[in-house]
Amino acid sequence: MPPQAQQLLDALNQTIPLEGYLIVGAIMFAIGAYGALVRRNAVVVFMCIELMINAVNLSLVAFSDYLPDAGGAGAGYAVLVIAVAAAEVAVGLAVVLAVYRSRKTVNVDEVNLMKW
Amino acid sequence: MILAFAFLAGMTLVSALGVVLSRNVVHSALFMSGSFLGIAGFFVMLNAPALAAFQVLIYVGAVTVVILFGIMFTQRPQVRRYRTIIQRQHWPGFFVAVGIGAFLAYIVAIADWTGTGPGNGPRGVDALGNILLGVNGAPPIFGLLFEVASVLLLVAIVAAIVVSRRKTGEGVDRGVEE
Repeated sequence: MPPQAQQLLDALNQTIPLEGYLIVGAIMFAIGAYGALVRRNAVVVFMCIELMINAVNLSLVAFSDYLPDAGGAGAGYAVLVIAVAAAEVAVGLAVVLAVYRSRKTVNVDEVNLMKW
Repeated sequence: MILAFAFLAGMTLVSALGVVLSRNVVHSALFMSGSFLGIAGFFVMLNAPALAAFQVLIYVGAVTVVILFGIMFTQRPQVRRYRTIIQRQHWPGFFVAVGIGAFLAYIVAIADWTGTGPGNGPRGVDALGNILLGVNGAPPIFGLLFEVASVLLLVAIVAAIVVSRRKTGEGVDRGVEE
């Protein structure tokens, strides 16, 4: 095998630093925040909140695998976050259904009964 | 490793952008499941295969299906233009999101990550279970958090039924003998 090919293989096989995962998580969190702020459909706002929760989960698991003194606690927190997110999506969609039944819309701009 | 990382990062981030920018709500939900699958791949790369299985089962399976049901119940045929799906204040939202991303990237950039390396997490299901229950050296607070999470799930189930249930005498239940 020529040395260039060996170098290429070594470069492809080196481990990813922790910053890589954290930056992917940060970008995904920012995308989710943008969607949650600008979209009008309440269901899409929920999806964007799920995206943000998943970005945080990715960061937690990355910390749990990379920090030597953490003892893997981040993975435990990630499981708890998954449980809380599942509860959140169930109750949130129930609220959206109740709003749709009374107002006939899921547009968050038009649900302004409690707006001052 | 780099090829897998680049593929998963591209899949996750492009799907996340697809959730925000797609004009069809069903496409948004499918993009969201693609993004969750990318995160599951990251979990496999991070030595957490049990969490990857949870991710596929709960997010790609359950949450996506629940959200698709929500779409099915609440959407009408709608005009598909960006003016109708994006709020008027989308530039402030954009700057807030860019500010959040820049702040997080700055924190990541200035922190000192020397001494970190892969392979410290709970690889097997038994280690993950010890952490989750707070036994065998794990922080004991996890036992309390586990119980609180189970109570929270029970309350959420009851609350979802109570909030979304049709009141008696309101509307028509087709196929149900009154």
